[in-house]
Amino acid sequence: MLNGALLATQEVNESELDVRINPFICNPGGDLAQYAAHALCLLQQGIRHVVGCYTSSARKEVIPLFEKHDGMLWYPSHYEGFESSSNVVYTGAAPNQHVLPLVEYLLQNHGRHAFCVGSNYIWAWENNRILRESVVARRGSVVAERYFAVGDTDFRQVIAAIIAARPSFVFLTLIGTSAYEFFRHFRAACVVAGIDQAREIPVASCSLSEPELEAIGGDAVDGHLSSSVYFCSIANPDNGRFLQAYTKMFPDGPTASADAEASYNAVWLLARSAAAAGGDDPRGVKSQLVHQRLDAPQGRVWIDEPTFHCYLTPRIGRSNRNARFDLVSEAAAPVQPDPYLVNNSGRFEAAPSPALRLVS
Amino acid sequence: MTESRLLQNFNGGRAFIITDRAVSMDVLVTALERLGVTTDAGDVVTSVSAIDPASLQPERDIIFIDGDIGDAATLPLSPVGRMPPAPVIGLIGVTAPSRLKALMRAGATSFLRKPIHSSAVYPALFVGINEYRRHRYLETLLEDQERRRRGRRDVVKAIIRVMSEHGIDDDAAYDLLRRRCMTTRQTMEDLCRDLIRQTDDHQSGNVDLQERRAK
Repeated sequence: MLNGALLATQEVNESELDVRINPFICNPGGDLAQYAAHALCLLQQGIRHVVGCYTSSARKEVIPLFEKHDGMLWYPSHYEGFESSSNVVYTGAAPNQHVLPLVEYLLQNHGRHAFCVGSNYIWAWENNRILRESVVARRGSVVAERYFAVGDTDFRQVIAAIIAARPSFVFLTLIGTSAYEFFRHFRAACVVAGIDQAREIPVASCSLSEPELEAIGGDAVDGHLSSSVYFCSIANPDNGRFLQAYTKMFPDGPTASADAEASYNAVWLLARSAAAAGGDDPRGVKSQLVHQRLDAPQGRVWIDEPTFHCYLTPRIGRSNRNARFDLVSEAAAPVQPDPYLVNNSGRFEAAPSPALRLVS
Repeated sequence: MTESRLLQNFNGGRAFIITDRAVSMDVLVTALERLGVTTDAGDVVTSVSAIDPASLQPERDIIFIDGDIGDAATLPLSPVGRMPPAPVIGLIGVTAPSRLKALMRAGATSFLRKPIHSSAVYPALFVGINEYRRHRYLETLLEDQERRRRGRRDVVKAIIRVMSEHGIDDDAAYDLLRRRCMTTRQTMEDLCRDLIRQTDDHQSGNVDLQERRAK
């Protein structure tokens, strides 16, 4: 994420745009308690635009500060939706741009019985809710929903349960090291059980990226489905240029990912809007932002004025042995963001299991 | 009767806003738009008297009432549950008890603090509308219980008659009546009321359940 922003900063500063960015980097190190203090420190120095935050919990920590000090947070991560702060620009995917296309793909190609494994926080809870609604609407079922503390790495029990249940697919919302361990152990357990895991019980997620595939490594790297608006393997000239510049600037990695692309786009959108507005005043930047059309590595992106989320192109990839994704599905055009799933969900929550009882 | 599911998508809704400071409602109108809820210029009014209660649709409409206005008019409330004809969300400025009480009396099931913060709108709709729906469900339950309570006298009469006419005890008489309810798909209270009325009309005094069942 940082690398994408730094690359864009360098490009902006070398460009003909009448704006120069002087990046100030601070790192709360993933410690939730540190986010507010760091954000306040930045805002009090007079910094008006901050690109960052990965988890939803981190974003929620800092939003009140941006609202109070009238700063702007450029949030470059896909997330679970149901938010629209007027002080945040969301350049990552909204749920209708990554969760829903994935669910659609899984139901069409792999079956209707899902096993959900996730980290115990809002991202997993909300994604599983969205999955459950879609699956139930198609008369499928959620075999089980299991949650683990962030950082947990012992999945023996749940893997045994998955192998016993034989779902159509595993919907994975574990994050970080938990996810990598799960992929490795699940693949190994399936080999022992004589199951061709990638084909019979594929693991699908909305957060798996190329650097993470490299972190999984070994024999467990291929055959996983991921829904994202960006993969390195997208073949277009803008992505080619982006990857070349990225690799040149960061030869030691990590590999470019959706998060790097989203923060790269965020900085470019910020720079162009600030140039058009003639300054960094958040109001001016916001009013110019809606006019920007950026030819991003993933294709053209622009901001949806009512929600300040991005028009993005959903794609689904299947990982290969080289720790890259082969595209298996791609939207024909950028999709309007729908953070509240106003146009993409039923009016009511999914039907609860019927509370029938035996009367005689 | 099953309890309704939670409403979570308000797309297609229509909001009425009752306030005397329409200009300060921009944030609310914009936030509602994002959620698919429309507010026409004519839907922002200064008094509830401008709204035709008969035209309100509880499944679609949402009424925002500004607690700071001294509106003499009120929405009609249902007799049992004191429910307004559509969900009401209170807009709170002054937090004195008299103002809060007025909003409670109007049937508000959730609140937004002024100045309105756009991110507070979705949760206010979620709580307000679902709480309204839950109240309405409880109201129908209560109405049903009231109706049953009023029919209690006929049930007692019918049981006693069946006991004496068939020479059976109260359990057997109740069981006979219950089975009859199931075959005719009537409630116990309706069936007993009809039986009592019928026998009163014919003065025959004979409640021939067996024959009716055979039909």
